[in-house]
Amino acid sequence: MTTTVLTRRRLVAVELLPLDTFARRTGLHPDLVRRLVALGLLEATSDAAGELWFPPTQLPAAARLQRLRAGLALNWAATGLVADLLDRISALEAALRSRGDTPWT
Amino acid sequence: MAPRRDFYESLGVSRGASQDEIQRAYRKLARTYHPDVNKDPAAEERFKEVSEAYDVLSDPETRRKYDAFGPDFRQVPDGVDPDTWARAQQAGARGGAGGGPRPRRGAQGQQVWSAEDLDIDLDDLFGGMFGGMGGGRGGRRGWGPIAGADQEAEITLTVEEAYNGGRRTITITGPDGPRALEVAIPPGVTDGQRIRLAGQGGQGTSGAAAGDLYLVVRLAPHPRYRVQGRDISVDLPLTPWEAALGASVAIMTPGGEAKVRVPEGSSSGRRLRLKGRGLPNPKGSPGDLYTEVRIMVPKKLTDEERRLFQELAAVSTFDPRREGRQR
Repeated sequence: MTTTVLTRRRLVAVELLPLDTFARRTGLHPDLVRRLVALGLLEATSDAAGELWFPPTQLPAAARLQRLRAGLALNWAATGLVADLLDRISALEAALRSRGDTPWT
Repeated sequence: MAPRRDFYESLGVSRGASQDEIQRAYRKLARTYHPDVNKDPAAEERFKEVSEAYDVLSDPETRRKYDAFGPDFRQVPDGVDPDTWARAQQAGARGGAGGGPRPRRGAQGQQVWSAEDLDIDLDDLFGGMFGGMGGGRGGRRGWGPIAGADQEAEITLTVEEAYNGGRRTITITGPDGPRALEVAIPPGVTDGQRIRLAGQGGQGTSGAAAGDLYLVVRLAPHPRYRVQGRDISVDLPLTPWEAALGASVAIMTPGGEAKVRVPEGSSSGRRLRLKGRGLPNPKGSPGDLYTEVRIMVPKKLTDEERRLFQELAAVSTFDPRREGRQR
């Protein structure tokens, strides 16, 4: 129970964006945003009414998907793969940095 | 603005390159310099450059125009003869006051162009940085505003700068050439730490927000201080008698002079900790400073020193090479 309460508190503390606000801020059509969530490319939570709510961290994530799609002619599924790989590289580079090594890039 | 490179040069292909070669070169460069793949601030400009070059050279019609008229091809109305155009340009150039922007031709209402006119906003051309590229010619429109990518650049600091913090001016490659940024370094940054400069990263398109610029801190090697995380190690040179008898010695630390109490019988390699004298920590307890004993002897002894050492050698039974090492 304690964990649930803590989780709820944490969710309340983060300002979540409703779908239409998120769509407006990213310049993506709400239907496309729903599709990107369904493809697992964007993270969102659903409320009791089934409405999607987005943490603000998903704004830069959506912009990155758009840049990858437009700049490298990728389809949406491929942008997800590239984004995951870029995140893994960032995590590895951060680990190298904290060890004091120079990353290979 | 720096003069634009020749489009063929931008893509690294010859003027006679086939469409396939042009596409191959572009795809490879786009993967290398895409601002999400390459976080160097200079990569974004290079990406725009190769994208613009590809946009022109991948269309046989615009490529023909570019080949005929060079960088001015966008100003040339359809149906103009290249030779006439070249002559008109030369005439204009002769009339100008050498070297500056291309002079204006015809004083009264004739067609006028200048170097400034050539500084076409890429966003106007492509409908946004990414609008015209990648997906081939069909993808020009339909991309709304896209926020800019985050970028990363390294900043090298001395141990003293990392300790004290302060202001530093750095130069970053931007769309209008190098630009200087004044950065506030917080006291106590560590090697590998990232400093975020909000909104100083890649440009957004169509009014969207710019990305952030992250400065990755690198600590320059220091002749005395060795830094690991927030802890700093430094050699503590001692005379044999200070090491043997114990002493209180002054040592320079990044935060100023500190006194180290050396217990008697301290051999080389012994580490003496000065708690909290390492790099400060804005979010918690500071690192420690470790001094490492290093016993030094005079290179040349005076007669008196030699006599006293010889006397000590005769009296002492200490043998550091014997098992156990300590008496």
